[in-house]
Amino acid sequence: MAIPFQCVRVCRPDPHDQSSWLLLAASGPRIYSSHSSGGTSVWSSQKSSESAEPVQADESQEPPGKKVKLSKQAEEPPNVSKLLVTSNSQHLVAVTAEDKCLRVFRLDLTGRLEPLSQRSMPKRPCAVTMIENDATILCADKFGDVYALPLLPSPTDADDIAVAAQEKETSASFVPTATPLTVHSGRNRKALEDQLKQKLQPKTKEPLKFKHDLLLGHVSMLTEILYAEVEGEKTGAKPRTYIFTADRDEHIRISRGPPQSHIIEGFCQGHREFVSKLCLSRSGDLISGGGDDDLIVWDWLSCRVLERISIKQPVLDFLKAHPQHAGSPQESEGDLRVAVSGIWAAPSTFSRDSVLVTCEGVPALFHFIIDGRKKVSSLQQTLPLTGNPLDLTLLESGPITEFIVVSIDQTRAPGSATMLRQKDDVPSRMQAFSLGSSGGWNLTSMLDVTLERLNSQAQADALLGREAEVVNPETPGKQSPVQDILYGIENLRKRAGAED
Amino acid sequence: MPGAPKKRQKREEYKESLSKDDQNGALPKKKFYRQRAHANPFSDHSLTYPKSPSDMDWASYYPAYAAKSDESEATVTQAPTEEDASRQITRPVEIADIGCGYGGLLFALAPKFPDTLLVGMEIRISVCEFVQEKIRALRHQSLATNTYQNVACIRANTMKFLPNFFAKAQLSKIFLCFPDPHFKARKHKARIVSSTLNSEYAYVLRPGGIVYTITDVEDLHKWMVEHFEAHPSFERVGEVEQEGDMCVEVMRTETEEGKKVGRNGGRKFVACFRRVEDPPWP
Ligand SMILES: C[S@@+](CC[C@H](N)C(=O)[O-])C[C@H]1O[C@@H](n2cnc3c(N)ncnc32)[C@H](O)[C@@H]1O
Repeated sequence: MAIPFQCVRVCRPDPHDQSSWLLLAASGPRIYSSHSSGGTSVWSSQKSSESAEPVQADESQEPPGKKVKLSKQAEEPPNVSKLLVTSNSQHLVAVTAEDKCLRVFRLDLTGRLEPLSQRSMPKRPCAVTMIENDATILCADKFGDVYALPLLPSPTDADDIAVAAQEKETSASFVPTATPLTVHSGRNRKALEDQLKQKLQPKTKEPLKFKHDLLLGHVSMLTEILYAEVEGEKTGAKPRTYIFTADRDEHIRISRGPPQSHIIEGFCQGHREFVSKLCLSRSGDLISGGGDDDLIVWDWLSCRVLERISIKQPVLDFLKAHPQHAGSPQESEGDLRVAVSGIWAAPSTFSRDSVLVTCEGVPALFHFIIDGRKKVSSLQQTLPLTGNPLDLTLLESGPITEFIVVSIDQTRAPGSATMLRQKDDVPSRMQAFSLGSSGGWNLTSMLDVTLERLNSQAQADALLGREAEVVNPETPGKQSPVQDILYGIENLRKRAGAED
Repeated sequence: MPGAPKKRQKREEYKESLSKDDQNGALPKKKFYRQRAHANPFSDHSLTYPKSPSDMDWASYYPAYAAKSDESEATVTQAPTEEDASRQITRPVEIADIGCGYGGLLFALAPKFPDTLLVGMEIRISVCEFVQEKIRALRHQSLATNTYQNVACIRANTMKFLPNFFAKAQLSKIFLCFPDPHFKARKHKARIVSSTLNSEYAYVLRPGGIVYTITDVEDLHKWMVEHFEAHPSFERVGEVEQEGDMCVEVMRTETEEGKKVGRNGGRKFVACFRRVEDPPWP
């Protein structure tokens, strides 16, 4: 099965040419780049042999059944799970999932990708963003930690860090201090045994050889990270910086930006299910969504709910109006679960904020006008798509958004995360829309040439068998890596009574 | 230790007999409440927790402090949210014992802080039930003096949900007594003290508030000292001040673990840390 574009990004690598643009799209382990003036190039991750070492079977976040990772999986080239273009469009940051790697590329003017660095993180990166004028990457991981890394590792780092790690190692050489005297309970006796065992074992993990500062952490899988700058209170004061992190346990945390990221300013509390996406509107309000029936608009500086907006109702209405789709509710509408897969700030409409929202496995784009302060946010438009949306990107020139590109799952039936399509019903992997004068979005054919070029190249590669998606991994019940990248959000929902 | 069916049945019969006899001042028996020592702080326990501190039904834990509906508007610390159906209390909880076990510290501190609300937080369900039963019994025994009305125990995974229970700067004291050591290097993230979790303790503590730690495992003591001292929101409390604090003595002698260690002639390592004011924005 050919892999759709799990991520798309559009940018302008040439600051002097406001008419050209570059479209980047990831399909499995490959990143395609296509320039508006013609020309496509491809980069692919390599099969990695180094990570074939057995992974320690003890990652307490994983349920017991999952513990032993198949080293086989590591032999496939790792799949791209995130793409992020720096704000100056000079670099692309890509995350590859299976090898937990942050990869940085230089984007040249023609759109070619030049790989510059590759850093394997301790845990799988779940969300990334750039701060400090593109100088620093913030990486939020599956274990709940947020690291800051320089965009490019400096070559001297590796040596400095190796020395520092060695010093720490020798100074903190381990003396088991839980002696038979202090060990009084069965629990501690067990701990002492473990401790002695550990001392005999060689270190399983090497320290990372590149600069990475731990800024903050949740004890929960992180799903999203954002960064914001706000004018200081006094005139002439430096702008205040904030980091927003969201997790699987319904939390949205607001911390100060570095160097004070250890200070938590507050929590935006109101979700009952996981939070998967955060978005700052153009006027600066926070909009969050996840496994709940509502999106929430926040006055985040005071951690107050401004407004709740149903996302479930528009999804229900859409599915009822399109009964041909696989996911249409049959019996009880109450059972329908929505999982927000994307929220994007769109240009304001009638001088009010507006956002575009997608839900996992729902072939539509929901356009909301947001006015949380007056509590009059509303659905402006529902745009039907030719398949399930996987990602979305906006091309902006100054305040004007020229178009959006949505990547479409051409493999699965619209409305379903698992059912395959009929062979004769394979749409293009992307759809483009532009903003009409009435404030609504319309399909546009303006980009067709570029989109089609990219689509047919990916299709050709798929036919060559380069990009077969492994649909049926050896461990039943576990999603294939690609399935997890494409449809991993509903999976964040907790199952009642799982473990006690 | 899920126990043989027979044992489980006995437990259930026992607990039922307790609940039937609500006016009973008899203390609960520990043997019916023991539970496997470790609970995984990362897993999805079927825990219940409030969305936010103002959604917490505190009044059912501290009935003597329940706000009358007309005064609740004026006295609650948190502005109630729109759909706020929870019942509030007339003063906020100020002292939290994290991983309180069988509650020895709470029962010793409660009479010493008669005007302050204390809460124990425990992840193991039966251990938490034991403490709740004991509170019920002690309250009943001391109806005349009204002691123990200021103490409660809630089941919670504090490593994930502390900010769901407490607002910013709400607490004046946090106790971390004989925490599970988690020796393995890979399990450091499972420890109750870490550079990232310390930010959450700093969040719920008011400036000037104190984190109290005690352990019999010297390495864990060093670990806690290293991580609190390295955290810019905390400073270590000096020896003289520490030894002058009556809570320190109570912590040494009244926690169940503290007693056990004492019986074995083991050592107890104490360290306390003060929450400092946040620096101005850079
Ligand atoms: C060794 S016992 C100490 C009990 C008590 N503080 C004492 O000193 O006697 C540690 C306790 O912490 C509890 N605990 C561990 N992790 C916890 C968590 N994340 N949230 C709440 N309690 C936790 C354990 O269930 C256990 O009862």
